[in-house]
Amino acid sequence: MKKLFNSQETMVDDMIDGFVAAFPQVVRGNNDPRIVVRAKSKNRDEKVTLLIGNGSGHEPIAMGFIGEGLLDANVVGDVFAAPSADLILDGIAEVNGAAGSILLVSQHSGDVINGGAAVMLAEEAGHRVKPLYMYDDISSAPKGQEGERRGAPGTMFIYKILGAAAEEGTALGPLYALGEAVRDNTRTLAAAVSPGISPLNGKAMFSLPDDEIYLGMGVHGEPGIGRAKYGPVSGLVETIVEALLEDRPIEAGDKVAVMINGMGGTTLMELLTIYGQTEKSLAARGIKAIAPMVGTFVTTQEMGGFSISLLTPTPEMLRYWCAPSDTPHFPAINMG
Amino acid sequence: MTARGYFERLQAVFASEKTRLDELDAAIGDGDHGTTMLRGLNAAVKADDGRQAKAFMRASGGASGTLFGLVLHEIELHLIGSDMTPGAHLDRAIERIKALGKVETGDKTMVDALEPAARALEAGGGINEAVAAAAQGRDATRAMAARSGRARYVENAGAGHIDPGATSVCLILQALADAGEQ
Repeated sequence: MKKLFNSQETMVDDMIDGFVAAFPQVVRGNNDPRIVVRAKSKNRDEKVTLLIGNGSGHEPIAMGFIGEGLLDANVVGDVFAAPSADLILDGIAEVNGAAGSILLVSQHSGDVINGGAAVMLAEEAGHRVKPLYMYDDISSAPKGQEGERRGAPGTMFIYKILGAAAEEGTALGPLYALGEAVRDNTRTLAAAVSPGISPLNGKAMFSLPDDEIYLGMGVHGEPGIGRAKYGPVSGLVETIVEALLEDRPIEAGDKVAVMINGMGGTTLMELLTIYGQTEKSLAARGIKAIAPMVGTFVTTQEMGGFSISLLTPTPEMLRYWCAPSDTPHFPAINMG
Repeated sequence: MTARGYFERLQAVFASEKTRLDELDAAIGDGDHGTTMLRGLNAAVKADDGRQAKAFMRASGGASGTLFGLVLHEIELHLIGSDMTPGAHLDRAIERIKALGKVETGDKTMVDALEPAARALEAGGGINEAVAAAAQGRDATRAMAARSGRARYVENAGAGHIDPGATSVCLILQALADAGEQ
């Protein structure tokens, strides 16, 4: 695999160089070159700031979602590795004001330990900050143990809705509660068809026979539900929708916001086909798909596959989900 | 002793113990515990005053680097000068490690050496009593079965092997005692 880098040592910093050069609404923070922040910040004593730390290699998440109406900062770790606690602490210090901050933590062991430690050290230093643990992947722990699940692309519902609410001036307490409510109303399930190639060693991250797909694989290739036979997308989408609705039932007549995320190596042609099929699967159950987000947002290099995320929104959530934002990579969401 | 002097002493200790710690870890884990600790300490000795434990966290990496960094953070605060007692510093580290690592007493982890040390301080002992208590706790990890981490998946969940993390805790406390720190 011919990957286009200068060197392993510089690949993450080279990427950030290009990112801040390409998108003037995002700049490097003062505390560390691995912290990227909004170029035009609001008064941090009045607006709650939102930030997230994550391993790199999954772009455009999360750097690409910094900007007005979304994230205030991203702390960038090495490839597929959570940033260290002290680096996340520097990120918190960079954007924290009297209004407080929420550190979004996509639930993976490294992110949980380092994010949690960063919040402890930040509180010790006098910062007002709360960690919001995000999980939505139904394949990673059984129903009833939702708190043990991994974060998956459905966590982007939380980013966007909290980002829009914070921009309007929602205070820390209600904002945090809104985040928990979005999390509780979101479910995601993924299917992978081909592996990503790790930029660290040039090797495929898993192997899969040509006639099989993998249900429920995590964003780092973590195990999920298991293998299934490859076939027309209609059957695959039907299986996923069925599993999502079994985990969190949605009644006929309800509306649901749908997110189709490509893992990096799946074309828009395929993703649009998957969305169309998802809408049909839901409609067959009397459920209306609205405000869709379809594209490639949380990637694992060139991994082939996708996830379907469903959010049952309150009217307030739906308004924030569709509110305008100005970031390098978050799309406009139309009510649909 | 200054915090800087302490980190330099600790770096020398782990440089000589690295191989033994890696071997202990190879029996129940990745086999890199000594390497990870030394990598962190090599960065800590080069860091600015007051940021040495943080430099350790950044350079050592991974979950164990963060958890040991929290112990070193408390020792650094204590050596710089703090209103809290040494016991209170140790208790805060233990509380955080248990919460973040989701571990309890008896899970065959660093906590099994830290807690007896904290109890010894609580009972009015000094650093030498704390070191002795930590050593007993470390030795007790030999019979324990791991409930978390990679050790859970090895034969008998690692029972029969001393936990390398608990061993490192003893080295960390011993370095304080050797410097005559109370």
